[in-house]
Amino acid sequence: MEQTILTIINSIRIAQELTPVTELHTTDNLREDLELTSFDLAELTVRIEDKYGIDIFEDGLVNTIGEIYNKLQQ
Amino acid sequence: MNILLTGCSRGVGLEICRVLLEQGHTIYGVARSCPQEFKDLQAQYPERLHYKSVDLSDSEHVKDNIFRDFCSNRVQIDGFVNNAAVAYDDIITNVNIDRLKAMYDVNVFAPIMMTKNVLRNMLLHHTKGSIVHISSISVHTGYKGLAMYASSKGALEAFSKDTAREWGSLGIRSNVVVPGFMPTAMSSTLSEEQRAKIYARTSLKKATSIRSVAETVAFLLSDKADSITGQNIHVDNGTI
Ligand SMILES: NC(=O)c1ccc[n+]([C@@H]2O[C@H](COP(=O)([O-])OP(=O)(O)OC[C@H]3O[C@@H](n4cnc5c(N)ncnc54)[C@H](OP(=O)(O)O)[C@@H]3O)[C@@H](O)[C@H]2O)c1
Repeated sequence: MEQTILTIINSIRIAQELTPVTELHTTDNLREDLELTSFDLAELTVRIEDKYGIDIFEDGLVNTIGEIYNKLQQ
Repeated sequence: MNILLTGCSRGVGLEICRVLLEQGHTIYGVARSCPQEFKDLQAQYPERLHYKSVDLSDSEHVKDNIFRDFCSNRVQIDGFVNNAAVAYDDIITNVNIDRLKAMYDVNVFAPIMMTKNVLRNMLLHHTKGSIVHISSISVHTGYKGLAMYASSKGALEAFSKDTAREWGSLGIRSNVVVPGFMPTAMSSTLSEEQRAKIYARTSLKKATSIRSVAETVAFLLSDKADSITGQNIHVDNGTI
C-alpha cells in the first residue's frame, strides 16, 4: 500500500514538473513537504479511491501521509 | 464520446439521446421510467444506449446509484448533461416546504452531487470534459407561478459559472442551455391561452424547438465549443 501511495504521489508530482521523491515519511505534510495543490490533492483522493474504494477526504481534511495510511488501514 | 445524461426517457432528454446517438456517441442515461419511445431507441442502438432506472430525488445516494456500477470509473466520462427536472408550479404565498425541498433534490442537489462525481471521473482520466446544465427562460423573464422552479434553475446557472472558473485550468468546461417554452410533458398543464401568451413574448412567436435545444447541447459537448465555458446559451426564440 505504501509503495502504491508513493507511485501515485510521484505521478502527480511529475505531471507538475516536480522531481519524484524516493520515499515517504508518515510526518510528511501533503501541501508543505510534498508541494501538492488543492487540485493535486483532489486527484490524489480520486486515485486512492479508485484503488482502495475509500474516499480519504470524505470526513474532514487529511494533512499528512501518516493520516492517509491510517484511513486506509481502518 | 461517453455522455452521462439525466432525464433521458422523454421530452428534451430523449431528443438529446437521438442527436448524440446519430453523431456516434455512447450514452449512459438515467430516469425513473423507460417508455416505449425510449425502448425503440434502445433497440436501434443496443450497444451505445445504456439505461438505468434511478430516482434522482434520492440525492444522497447518487454515488451508489449511478457511479458505483452503472457509470463507474471504468467508463471515461467525456460529457455530462444535467437535464432531468421537475417543476413546482404555484404562487409564493402557497409555498410548501416539503414540495420545495423535493424539487430542490431533483433540480439542484442531485445535479451538484453528480457534478462532484463526474469531475472526479474526469480527474482520474485527465479528461478535458464538458458539462451542460439545462436551465429555463423563467430565470431571466418572470412568469407567475414559476418563482420556486426558477430559483432552482438560477442556482444551477450560478453553480455552472463557478464550476467553469474552478475547473477551467484543467480544461473542463461548464455551460448552461436556457430553453424557452417547449411542448413537453412538463408544460402540458398550460392552457392554450397561457401558451399563446408565452409565445407572444418571443421574437419568433412560437414554441421553442426541442431539436434546436438538443443540437445546442450536442454542440456544447463537442470540440467545436472548445473556447466556450461559463456561458448561458439562450435557445428561446428570442424571448424579450
Ligand atoms: N418544457 C419546457 O417548456 C421547458 C422550458 C424550459 C426549460 N425546461 C427544462 O428542460 C429540461 C427537460 O424538460 P422536459 O420539458 O423534457 O420535461 P419532461 O418531459 O417532464 O422530462 C423530464 C425528464 O426528467 C426526468 N425526471 C424527472 N424527475 C426525475 C427523478 N426524480 N429522477 C430521475 N429522472 C427524473 C423524467 O424522467 P422520468 O419521469 O422517467 O423519471 C424525464 O426524462 C428540464 O430541465 C426542464 O426544466 C423545460
